[in-house]
Amino acid sequence: MAGQSDPHISLFSAEEVEFMAEDELIEIVPNLRMDPLNFICGDFGPFLPQIATQVPFWLAVALKKRGKCAIRPPQWMSVENLTQVLERERESQGAFQVLPFHYVEISRLLFDHARDDIPDMYMVRSLIEDIRDVRIHKVETSLEKFSGTSAVKIPNLSAMEVNIIRPFVGRALQAFYKHDNPEKIPDVDRASSAQTRAANNEPRMIMAEEFYNYIQVSKRFFFFFWFAAATEEITNHFQPASDEGTSVLLETLFGESYLVPFSL
Amino acid sequence: MASSAGEWSAEQIDDYETLISTTDVELLKKAWRNEKASPEILPFEEALVKRAKEQIQLMEETVDDFEESGHDPLIVSLYQMDLDRVQFLLRSYLRVRLQKIEKFMFYIWKTDMYRNRLSIEEEKFTERCIRDMGKHLEETVLSKMPDNYQSVLKQSVISEEDDMVPEPQLDTFVVAKCERTTRPLYLDGSRQSAGFNSRQVAIRTLFTV
Amino acid sequence: MANYYNIDDILAEEEFVPVVFHKAANGVVIDPSSETNSVEQGAKVELPLWLAQELYLRQAISISVPACFSQRTRLEIQADAACVDLKSRSPYFYEFGCKIAPLVGDKTIEILLLSAFKIRYKEILTKAYTAVFTTTSKFLTLLTKEETNLYEAAQASMAAFKKWRMGGPRLQRASVLGRKRKPLD
Repeated sequence: MAGQSDPHISLFSAEEVEFMAEDELIEIVPNLRMDPLNFICGDFGPFLPQIATQVPFWLAVALKKRGKCAIRPPQWMSVENLTQVLERERESQGAFQVLPFHYVEISRLLFDHARDDIPDMYMVRSLIEDIRDVRIHKVETSLEKFSGTSAVKIPNLSAMEVNIIRPFVGRALQAFYKHDNPEKIPDVDRASSAQTRAANNEPRMIMAEEFYNYIQVSKRFFFFFWFAAATEEITNHFQPASDEGTSVLLETLFGESYLVPFSL
Repeated sequence: MASSAGEWSAEQIDDYETLISTTDVELLKKAWRNEKASPEILPFEEALVKRAKEQIQLMEETVDDFEESGHDPLIVSLYQMDLDRVQFLLRSYLRVRLQKIEKFMFYIWKTDMYRNRLSIEEEKFTERCIRDMGKHLEETVLSKMPDNYQSVLKQSVISEEDDMVPEPQLDTFVVAKCERTTRPLYLDGSRQSAGFNSRQVAIRTLFTV
Repeated sequence: MANYYNIDDILAEEEFVPVVFHKAANGVVIDPSSETNSVEQGAKVELPLWLAQELYLRQAISISVPACFSQRTRLEIQADAACVDLKSRSPYFYEFGCKIAPLVGDKTIEILLLSAFKIRYKEILTKAYTAVFTTTSKFLTLLTKEETNLYEAAQASMAAFKKWRMGGPRLQRASVLGRKRKPLD
């Protein structure tokens, strides 16, 4: 309510993205016997030793942590495949290779919890990091080409990659949008029509009382200073140079009794 | 009706299969994701939330039963994890809605379209929020203003509209992921008719299924 | 007014604009150095935008283009937009520009803003994701508030991602989470 635009509501943290990735399915090979699990998120099992079965990642990790299963890394996570992907990723400047939507999160989960199940784990890890770096760099290059547009399409971008650039891109596009569509800026029409309206009862001289008309604008300031006082914003925003003039004005507009919050 | 398979396109069958295999958890996740990413408040998923609550309660009872009957602690802990995840989703969904209500309470309250999107509890919450915030502003600032400037919605009595009410910014950019190829959408120029609620698609990670 | 309580929007209206009074104003101290409490007709003073706007609507004043959109600034932006110190011109260069353009009836301000932003945007992008902090600290002092926000948004999400990748303390379980859910009523 205090109105400092709060972008955090609409942003996902890396952990939240990871949470969503944990619902992806992965194959495990259990080493225990267990009845089917009837979860709210679906039914899994039965679990029989040495018989592979599909479970969500979070369940796989939980079982793995307790030493109850081995995780079968997904097929795309092989040195061969990743080497190829990396090569193609480097070759094609514009396009992104097809990788699972959650490949960043999935690989991290596996590296953290199932090292011994991944053949050539160090090789695989460094390949994935390279791929990710190349891709992120590519995203940046493609962002450089923006110059005011209403929609941007980037095929095959993964969840985490999107999440990294989301705050920046959102803001930037908004700025482009604003400057590219001057008609979006209010006041153009209002200013001229209101001016003609006001001109009809034209006073010859402005009297002090009339300045009260402008209180409605100043009311906003009043709120601002009052909110600002409650936060540290005041130290960042308060600029003595411009304040001097304003406080003089406000003093005349409001009279003494209203000056208190402004003399912070 | 002889060859029923022929009447269904592959895409329709896919759609149908996703529909019946989609769990409430998936739907809840989707609702949370959409709610979080959209600038305005979306219609409350009443039926879904009700179902999720029922399932949570049922699962809580099951977990309790398991504990009492001396079930394998491993299995109990796995069920507990499933429960925790669903609860996290439900809470996140409800919480992000409350945050939006707090941010735009006056606007939501005076706009029927948005007000109708609230659940009964959310309506009560909004009403109380408005009362408290109104009282607070009244006591700290408004009562000290000249008579014509004491409204919490209007800057002064001559204001034609409620010019003090923060509104969600609808012509902003959202990131969307296409679930299937769509017909071309003309976003430029014909923004309103593009079926995007006058919002725009910033990044469409095209993802054909 | 959708962003009534937005501090940056308020501060953008704090910026001073040069105006000429068409009518005399009595009983107000606009110019602190003047000895009388009135303003002569034809007086040239600087007013904050929010006040100038209201007076302009009542045809009491006319507004001229503020110094930060002067010909010199325009030339500098044309020459090398990325190196111009916009912050010292106005920390709300873009927002202020958007607000002032219709009041002074100068459409070229909009064009200036867009062309400046296009070039500076690229600079911010490369600096935000790739450059080391030490090489960017000087660049940062040139940025307006919105440009700084943009830079920080990029930096923060990258930093959050790196932190997540490195691991470290996982999400802490809130103490209320394990507890039983209470019935609603």
